[in-house]
Amino acid sequence: MTTTAKPPVRTTGPLKWLNDNVFRTWWDGIVTVVAGGLLLWLLGSFLSWVFTSAEWDIVRVNLVTFMVGRFPREELWRVGVALLILAFAGGLLLGMSLRLKPRVTALEALRTFAVRAWPVAILVVLLLILASSLSALVLVAGATLAFIIGRGGGYRLPQSRTRLGMVVGLLSPFAFVAVIAGFGGVGWNLWGGLLLTMLLAVGGIALSFPFGVMLALGRRSTLPAARWLSITYIEVIRGVPLITLLFMGFVMLTLFLPAGVSAPSLVIRGIVVLTIFTAAYVAEIVRGGLQSVPNGQVEAAHALGMSPIQTTFNIVLPQALTAVIPALVGQFISLFKDTSLVAIVGLLELLGVAQAITQQPAFAGQGLLLETLLFASLIFWVGSFTMSRESQRLEKRLGVGER
Amino acid sequence: MTHEDLAAGAVVAGGTGEPMIICEGVEKWFDDFQALKGIDLVVGTQEVVVVIGPSGSGKSTLIRCINRLEEHDRGRIIVDGVEMGDDIRNIQEIRREVGMVFQQFNLFPHLTVLDNVTLAVRRVRKKPKAEADELAMEMLTRVQIPEQAAKYPGQLSGGQQQRVAIARALAMQPKVMLFDEPTSALDPEMIKEVLDVMKELAVSGMTMIVVTHEMGFAKEVADRVMFMADGEVVEVGTPQHFFESPEEDRTKLFLTQIL
Repeated sequence: MTTTAKPPVRTTGPLKWLNDNVFRTWWDGIVTVVAGGLLLWLLGSFLSWVFTSAEWDIVRVNLVTFMVGRFPREELWRVGVALLILAFAGGLLLGMSLRLKPRVTALEALRTFAVRAWPVAILVVLLLILASSLSALVLVAGATLAFIIGRGGGYRLPQSRTRLGMVVGLLSPFAFVAVIAGFGGVGWNLWGGLLLTMLLAVGGIALSFPFGVMLALGRRSTLPAARWLSITYIEVIRGVPLITLLFMGFVMLTLFLPAGVSAPSLVIRGIVVLTIFTAAYVAEIVRGGLQSVPNGQVEAAHALGMSPIQTTFNIVLPQALTAVIPALVGQFISLFKDTSLVAIVGLLELLGVAQAITQQPAFAGQGLLLETLLFASLIFWVGSFTMSRESQRLEKRLGVGER
Repeated sequence: MTHEDLAAGAVVAGGTGEPMIICEGVEKWFDDFQALKGIDLVVGTQEVVVVIGPSGSGKSTLIRCINRLEEHDRGRIIVDGVEMGDDIRNIQEIRREVGMVFQQFNLFPHLTVLDNVTLAVRRVRKKPKAEADELAMEMLTRVQIPEQAAKYPGQLSGGQQQRVAIARALAMQPKVMLFDEPTSALDPEMIKEVLDVMKELAVSGMTMIVVTHEMGFAKEVADRVMFMADGEVVEVGTPQHFFESPEEDRTKLFLTQIL
């Protein structure tokens, strides 16, 4: 006799779930109703504040200030052009990464995009509604078009030109800065708002990552000098609050410089301090990853005749970094938000703008800080959340075939 | 005495008669514990030496000294006419010619099977990608898993992983292969497929030192069997001598325990 094996039937459904999880006993039921009522009431009063009492005029009027701070308005076209370049390069890299995968229809591509980038998309739509200007619409449309063109170009790029694509992608942030600051443009001392926040964050991440990896390798080095230098650096920096380092960089640096030597601009000092601070944390995270790679991996590489440097860069680091992606991205999200601390010396990044505009003659004394802070928080959240989600994607993709 | 003199004076018991590996008075200490107490061993070109012995006897330590995964404290080790010294270039020169297969496979989990095999060929032997790929496929065919080239090690069975590890070592076209208990971490049904590959390798004329507990393999393939205990060589001989008329009491005791 053959028995047709089937898994036992489990009763499921929303009612069953409710019964199992939130109304299991009378006591559970009461807690559910009270807590649920409280949550609904909080949400309701928050939404009613957002849509009825809150004065969003201050955000609407200062939208451009939120984006770029005191950036000269007649040079704004540079930011637009720079954004187009970035959108094109982003599309190019995405397209190249899709080359080896089966072709998808436009609808599927749109769906993936919606799943991946809905927070950004919602923010952009919100900005468009608030701006309600033709130029903003043209900019977003142009950037979208540049992205799509880049993606198509990346997809069709022959394998032999991969290096070219990578160079274009990696140079695009420099092109972004060059288009805005170069050619008689606006130096970054006049950048502000989201533009400055992004400059600080991207600059800090791009510099602190390699520096941190170097420190982590130094801490495990067999050379006593390298090891002790790294340990001292890491332990000293981790023992000091970021805000202290920022004050030292911004206020005290000028006191130590010899007469006649002018200190670098506040923006550069900001990036340097954020880099110095974050690198120490990156180093400890990466060290954890290095320790997670079994010694057998190093032995296998050595047995194949690979040099210590080849072993580190081809075998140990790739595995170590994959293992610590979540912690690493967490650190970078911290850095992204810590950029707001430069507001203490009057640099007008997002938080600085949110505070400064409440002092404008038209809005002063009306208690509008809540509105501006909420708007700035929304932008910070979109950035942080997107980084977090992208790190999860990366983790999953690199996890394929892991033992 | 230079190592040329040592090589010339070495008595080669097997293989073609040319010495490939010469160990002379090799000693190794782990802190206060002496793991190797003066090992003398000459392995001839194309000879297969199987090393057996109880755990902790120094078998693994000996072959790990031959490619400097462990540094020996006294004595000399000469591989293919190159004496192991402290210079890293000298060490790498020897490692290029000595392939090693580990008990735990130690494949690189972040690379595909093909990349596992080609990495050192490209980085150390400096061969162009196309040539390295071709060589790698040849070696994967030799260990009978060319169809797994695009997979990651984590997707393979233990026996398949160990065969990839053998292919990875072979792709460097070494003159010597060292096996450190290659089947000890495998499920019983996978041991044969790995041993078959090793037999084919022995027949093809590879110089091999194999640390193993597979007595069947030792009987069938070894030119000489070496029994080690407590960091010393207790007895060396042909498989016939070794399994049928061992002389030392310790050898007899060990053989009764495992057979």
